Order: sequence, then structure tokens, then C-alpha cells
Amino acid sequence: MTNITWLSTAIFFCVGSHAHAQDAREIVKAAIDHWRGTSSYSEMTMTIHRPDWERAMSMRGWTEGEKKSLVRVMAPARDKNNGTLMIDNNMWTYSPKVNRVIKVPSSMMNQSWMGSDFSNKDVSRADDIVDQYDHVLLGQSEMDGHVVYEVESVPHEEAAVVWGREVLRIRDDNVLVDQKFYDQDGELVKTLASLEIGDVGGRTIAIRQRMFKEEAPEEWTEILVSDAQYNIEIGEGLFTLSNLRNPRD
Amino acid sequence: MRLLQTVSKLAWRNLWRNHRRTIIMVGAITLGVWAMIFMTALIRGMVDNMITDGLRALPGHVQVHHPAFRDDPSVENLIGVSDAEIRRRFESTDIESWASRVKVPAVITSERESRGIVLFGIDPAREVGISFVADDMSDGRFLEDESDSGIVIGAKLADTLETEVGKRVVLMSQDPDNEVADRGFRVVGLFDASLDAFEETMVFAGKETLQRMLKIGDAVSEVAVQGDDYRDVTALTDEVRQLFSGNEEVLPWAELDSYLGSMLDVMDGFVLVWMVVIFMALSFGLVNTLVMAVFERVREIGLMMALGMRPGSILAQIVVESILLLLVGLLFGNLIAYASIEPLKTGIDVSIVAEGMEMMGVSTVLYPKMMLKDVLLANAVVLVLGFLASLSPAWRASRYEPIEAITKV
Repeated sequence: MTNITWLSTAIFFCVGSHAHAQDAREIVKAAIDHWRGTSSYSEMTMTIHRPDWERAMSMRGWTEGEKKSLVRVMAPARDKNNGTLMIDNNMWTYSPKVNRVIKVPSSMMNQSWMGSDFSNKDVSRADDIVDQYDHVLLGQSEMDGHVVYEVESVPHEEAAVVWGREVLRIRDDNVLVDQKFYDQDGELVKTLASLEIGDVGGRTIAIRQRMFKEEAPEEWTEILVSDAQYNIEIGEGLFTLSNLRNPRD
Repeated sequence: MRLLQTVSKLAWRNLWRNHRRTIIMVGAITLGVWAMIFMTALIRGMVDNMITDGLRALPGHVQVHHPAFRDDPSVENLIGVSDAEIRRRFESTDIESWASRVKVPAVITSERESRGIVLFGIDPAREVGISFVADDMSDGRFLEDESDSGIVIGAKLADTLETEVGKRVVLMSQDPDNEVADRGFRVVGLFDASLDAFEETMVFAGKETLQRMLKIGDAVSEVAVQGDDYRDVTALTDEVRQLFSGNEEVLPWAELDSYLGSMLDVMDGFVLVWMVVIFMALSFGLVNTLVMAVFERVREIGLMMALGMRPGSILAQIVVESILLLLVGLLFGNLIAYASIEPLKTGIDVSIVAEGMEMMGVSTVLYPKMMLKDVLLANAVVLVLGFLASLSPAWRASRYEPIEAITKV
């Protein structure tokens, strides 16, 4: 679920306000609060890379608050209008080829989202990382003129999280530098890294983020944000199943 | 009566006139009878094993479900009576071995893998003697009570998930509103099952813990009741049916798992076919022996007829000869079968071919089971068919023309 949080951060940007968070929990919360409660529209490209092939999809995404988001594929043509709608913890997908909206069942939450290295669970769960984890500030360092906080987050006993712990590095302008997922033996399993941080739509965000597994670093998924708008008016019917099926935007 | 005595005496003596031939024939019958009884005992043992294991996995001899549960084992199809009420109803009877469970399909996820499984929410104290898990823990501990926050998974599943006792995994399922219900659980124990399939697909958690996770209050999906003998559960089924007069579906195991259920009937048929086939092979030897015995004694038979013995007595003599031969063979066959099965009662390890056996749902240790009805059947098959087979040579012997027979060179 945290990945989500951060993926959302990545996809739908959050913004840097300069919160001078004092403790670890505050740092994480501040980063999340930046994208929560705002609405956004963004255009991005998702690149799925494998040693012997690579494909790219351009997508549009809308968010409103913490609980609602919609992603729609624009290109290539054969994937056009494939979409994913997320409201609360529920997720629906639409594929024009079969002309069906499918609610993603719990059994499929661990499967890959649109063939990428993100799972459905990664993208859909907006559960609060702040409340389901215990956070400890490990240290801070300097990078590109920013202070970078390193936070270790350990999921609660009953949290629906498989990781043993996660280590987040967050800049003082609330941009995620990277997030590392460790298993319960303390071994690094996968990493979400911000390869490029810059200004889009007037805000400082992670422009290019890459998710890859430690075992197979040559297989990765990147999301590159090319354009974004914030605090936009969002029509009443945007986050609905009928809009997922019949785009009106 | 005296005639029969004379005939029997003659038959018995004739039998030992060519003792080598008789001994060979007795040997053949002995071997055949032994094969019938021994193989049947093995097969019976195998089926017994399969059914007992199957019942422990089901588990329970009689089960209560929501009527739609068996078609769609989802969290929506819960028994319409609360757990507390079920307990009250069973306590008013003398049924002791029963357990209520929550049973839902779920997905288990570790850091590296995820698998579809069947999740059981159980009350560990009640499950004793009904399902197998508590007896076969290979690591860690079993659930302590119904609000235990840990889970017990199969050793094989733990391998697949690359997890172990003490680590956390996530279980995901759906609540009755189709919302995702998930939670982290610590693996507290691993169980070994006789079949890999159970180890891979069954996960046990505390009943109350699951009821909370699935938001189903005090409801359960299944009540399992165990009787004394799986072969006779009609009375038990009726008794349980009385307790659930509502919409619930109460079924005995043979209907819950019709594969297992039909197994017993199929086996009865198979055993009979098996015995008849062995006897077929045996009967060639038997008929041959008798034909030879008749052929050798053509002149003698002619003489007896000339002296006034009736054809019926000739026929009786040959038949009695055959039956005596069969009885001697049966005696030895039964003794050897008993002697060879008795020391194997503790089990035959067939783990060399374990993989193939497991595919059939049979475990790797065979316990031969000698049943009285199978032994009686084997003896009856041999005697009745042996009698029929001996009729033809006996009939021929009784039809000789005395003059021709005496003068035959």
C-alpha cells in the first residue's frame, strides 16, 4: 500500500512545500499530505523494459484527494482506452476489446498492473502508510542542495504488508528520492527510485521513477511525467464506471 | 448317504493316486487364492487410506452448509444460524465430535510469491480428531485458540512462498460486500499432510480472527460432524438434519465428495472382477487336471459302470474329486494369505513410487486390510466356479458306454 502512496506521489505529483518535519512520522505524513486533498491531471509515459523487448504506453491520469483516481491509456492504438479506476480500495479495469468493466477481485490484486512491475495492489491501495507503519528517522544527508531524510518504516503486526521494512529517502521539499523494500530477512527485494527530479506544472516532483527488483535489475518499469496541472476543476462524472467505459473527457 | 461316503472315499484316494499332479494343482490353487486375498487386502487398504485421508481433509463425516455453498464456496454463503446457536444445539445432543468453521477462498502472499488457497478459520480445541492438522505439525506450534492471531500453513506452501515459521505473510479475501479483506498474519506453524495437495492449498487460522477480518460477525460457513465409522453415517446424518431444520444443507461425506463416495462401490465390483479373472486362469489348470484324471481312468470307469455303478455316481465322484482338490488348495491359500498379511499390518512403505501414488490421492504407506467378506467371496468364487468347471469332464466321464470303455486300449 505504501508503494501506492508513493506511486501516486510519482504519478500524480505532489509538491514540495517546505515542511520542516521534525520526526520521521511527520516527514512521511508531510510528503503524503502534499498530494492528498488536491486534484490533478497529468500526462505520462510508462515504459516496461525487459532484456529482449520494451514497450511504452502513454497515459493520462486524474486524481482527486486520496481516494479517487483514474488512469487511461492513450497510445499505442491497440491499448487505447484501456483504463483503471480506483475509488477507496476498490479497483475496476476496462478493456475496449472485450467491452467489459471488471472489478479487480482480491485474488488478482497481486498480479501485474498493465504488464508492468507494479502490481494492482501497488497502484490501488491508498491505505495510509502513516498509520499502518512505525517510522524511525535513520539519518539525514545533503544532496543537490537539499536535506534528505532517511526514514525506516516497519509495518504493524497486522498490517496487510509483506515487507519486513521499507526505507524511504525524502527530500526536505517532500520529493521521494527512493523507496527500498526489504524482506523479513533484511534482504533488499525491490526499489522504487526517482531518477530525475524537476519542475513540471510549476511544482517540483519526481519526473522519472523506476521500479525494479533486486534480483533482476535489467527488468524495470519507468514512469515519466511529461505534463501536469494542479488544483483543477474536476467534473462530477469523472470517477464513475460509465466514464471508465465511455470516455467523455 | 452311504453312496456319498463311498464316492468321497474313492475320490479322495483317486486324488492321491497321482500325487505329483495333485500337489501341483493344489499349489496353483493355493497361489491363486493367496493372490486373490492378498491383492484384495492391499486394494482395500489403499481405498481405506484414501477415504480416511479424504475425510480428514474434507473433513468430517457429515457436513452442514448454506445450500449454495458447495456451488459457490464464497463468504456470502454462510450458515444462517450463528455459531453460538450451533453450539447450543449440539450441546443438547449426545454428538460429541463436531466443529464449526469459516472456510473461504483466499490469496496468500509473501515477499516473493503469492498463491490461491482455501482459508479455514477453526477452533483448534474442537478440531481434534476431526481434521488432521493438529497431529502432523512439522515445525512450530498449532493454533492455540480460536482468536489466535497466527496461521498454520503446509510445509510445501512455505517452501513455495519462501517463508518460514516466525515470518509474516498477507492473506487476502473478500468480505460479504465484495470489499477486499486483508490482514498480515505471522506463520506460527507448518503442517505435514499425507498429500502434497493439502499442504499446498490449506491454510488454518483462528475462527474469531477470520470472522473479524471478513466482517461476518458470529457466522460460519461449515459445520463438520464426525461419527464412529465412516461406512455407516445415515443415522448421524438424520440426527444432524434434525438440528438444522431450516434451509441448511446437511450431507454425508459420500455425497459431499462423490469421488470418494463411489470409491467403495467401485472397489466391491473391482474385487469381484479381480477374483474371477484369477479364477479364469486357474480354471484351465483345474479342468485340464480333471480331464487327464478321467482320461487315464476310462477303463476303470467302464468297469465300475459294468459292475452297476450309475452314471450319476460317476459324475458325483469326479465332482467330489474336484471339490476336494479345491478345498485343500483353499485351506493352504487362506492360511498363507493370512500369514503374509498379518506381519504387514503395520504398513508397507511404498515411498519409492510415492509420486505416482500421490497423484492418485494415495499416501505412501500401505496398510493391507483383510476383510472377512473378501475372504468369503474369494472362497465362494473358487468353490462355485470350480464346481461349474468340473461339470464338463465329469459329465463326459458319466456318459461312457461301459463296453467301449472297458475295451478301450
